[in-house]
Amino acid sequence: MQKVIERILNLLAFLLNVDRPVTADEIRMTVAGYDRSSDEAFRRTFERDKGLLRRLGIRLELRPTDVWEVEHGYTVLPGSEFPDPGLTDDERAALWIAAQVVRMGGRSSGPDAMFKLGGTPLAPAGEPLAADLGTQEDDLAEVFTAITVRRHLAFTYRGRERTVAPFGLAHRRGHWYLIGPERGDDLIKVFRLDRATPVTTTGEAGGFERPEGFSAVSFVPNAPWEAGDAIETTALVRIDPELAWWAERQVHDSAAVTRLPDGGVELSLRVANPDALIGWVLSFEDGAEIIEPAELRQRIIERVAG
Amino acid sequence: MSSARTASRLNRLLGMLPWVIAHPGTTVDEVCTRFGYDRRSLVADLNLVFVCGQPGYGPDDLMVAYIDDDEVVVEMADYFSDPVQLTAPEALGLIASGMAMLSTGEAPEALRRAVDKLAAVIFPEAGEVLAVDLPEPGMVGELRRAAADHEVVHLVYTAIASDRTTERDIEPWMVLSTLGNWYVTGFCRLAGDERVFRIDRIRSLRPTGERFEPPAETPPPLVSYHRGDDDVVCEMTLSARARWVTDYYPVEIVEDTEEGGPVTIRFFAGDPSVAARLLLRLGGEAKLVSGDEVAAEVADLRRRILARYRG
Repeated sequence: MQKVIERILNLLAFLLNVDRPVTADEIRMTVAGYDRSSDEAFRRTFERDKGLLRRLGIRLELRPTDVWEVEHGYTVLPGSEFPDPGLTDDERAALWIAAQVVRMGGRSSGPDAMFKLGGTPLAPAGEPLAADLGTQEDDLAEVFTAITVRRHLAFTYRGRERTVAPFGLAHRRGHWYLIGPERGDDLIKVFRLDRATPVTTTGEAGGFERPEGFSAVSFVPNAPWEAGDAIETTALVRIDPELAWWAERQVHDSAAVTRLPDGGVELSLRVANPDALIGWVLSFEDGAEIIEPAELRQRIIERVAG
Repeated sequence: MSSARTASRLNRLLGMLPWVIAHPGTTVDEVCTRFGYDRRSLVADLNLVFVCGQPGYGPDDLMVAYIDDDEVVVEMADYFSDPVQLTAPEALGLIASGMAMLSTGEAPEALRRAVDKLAAVIFPEAGEVLAVDLPEPGMVGELRRAAADHEVVHLVYTAIASDRTTERDIEPWMVLSTLGNWYVTGFCRLAGDERVFRIDRIRSLRPTGERFEPPAETPPPLVSYHRGDDDVVCEMTLSARARWVTDYYPVEIVEDTEEGGPVTIRFFAGDPSVAARLLLRLGGEAKLVSGDEVAAEVADLRRRILARYRG
């Protein structure tokens, strides 16, 4: 490893300092650590080094060495596509803790990224909080990149090949949702990422424009029964005293709550998807009842009667 | 040596160099804390820098890097003054982690600023490209503090499968979110064993003031569904409209069709009532193929619910 790191440091030091594209041949003859006798050995080593540098985020590019574009050489673009976010130390520390706590499929988004941002001013302590945002980490990296540089994504979803402009990405209830229209269509759709396989990036960077004011969160509903084209009706649901606490906790702010003298509650819920509401009410078994509207009450009875 | 470890070491080195160059006079302690070095590994990295530099590789070409007393010195290395840029997965990974933490209400104001600053440079156009939300039932903060302070908490808890409410003291170890739900793991004094509790099923909790001796090593938290030996198994066929079940439950696909048609699944649960509730809810969109215990449970549940509606 020592030798590899020395060679790469020498390569980077040279490329960052010369300020002109340098051919592979010149690198081979100039930079310490490359094999000068065997073409094949040099080629293999150099390919590996280039791959490593690019994975680290170093912008190694091939450019013509002169105006006639006869020869091409390697150059490292200075600075960054993204300006320095200018984090303060307390912001770095907060971000570091978040990266420790929140993982993507078991992997931390931490320290490699934090080192680029100037390290972290705090030694991490024993943190009893942990969250995992999902398991398809390779797809997620691909999607993150496509979203950032605005390239299309191609994948199979429900048995059909699709090409989608990834406007946004949302995580809700344990799943990642990709949000965007299919190519040649205006309708913005929502795709469960772990049902989209395999995900590959396609087309040019900057291949689509996000609509102004796009908001990923607006495509992911608050409660399952609110997910629909338009609010159809308001339903009144009674919950027995034993389970009232659990119901209230689940509806958060999406319901008007009336407490009953016996300790139960009545919830007034806005419903766009009646099936989802019926499903939820049934999760209380015989501890909950749809009171109104009559039509929805009839529907749950029919559902249960089979 | 694997290339992942090489990449990791190089990444840290390329983070440390610009920082030291920008902060002359910085100390060994500060660099070690910031970049997760111990003194020995920092010296090893500085020694590497010391033998590298510009072609020619004579004394005037090489970088200078050493520890002077307690000061970290890097000179003649100005071409390494710019930090390497974040890759898109790194940047969005950090933003997503930050947003998730913020949604728990357990994060300092500084995190909000950090997330906003990062999002502003990655997505300079207006709009909210990324949304991460871990809705939590309001007890995560209290349980996190109890776990950090090794304080015993008293729970009133309703088990998901059986709907039975019990009271118990637990020694909380970890608070974690996975597959969309929050859990607390720890030693349960009622069961006399390690247990996992779903936080939304905790009806109320009260810190007891009593401290417990934490385990020397916290067992790795359960981060995915693990099937128990005595779990109930049944098979059901789902219509196209009920396919979402495969997205929400840990199921095995027995037989699938193209283009979103019907699918037959094997369904697992700790208690037959879980499968029964699901089947009733799906109505005509699902058909039980096999599983006697579940079939009996469905019949009982149907009877109880209809009795309520028909008075």
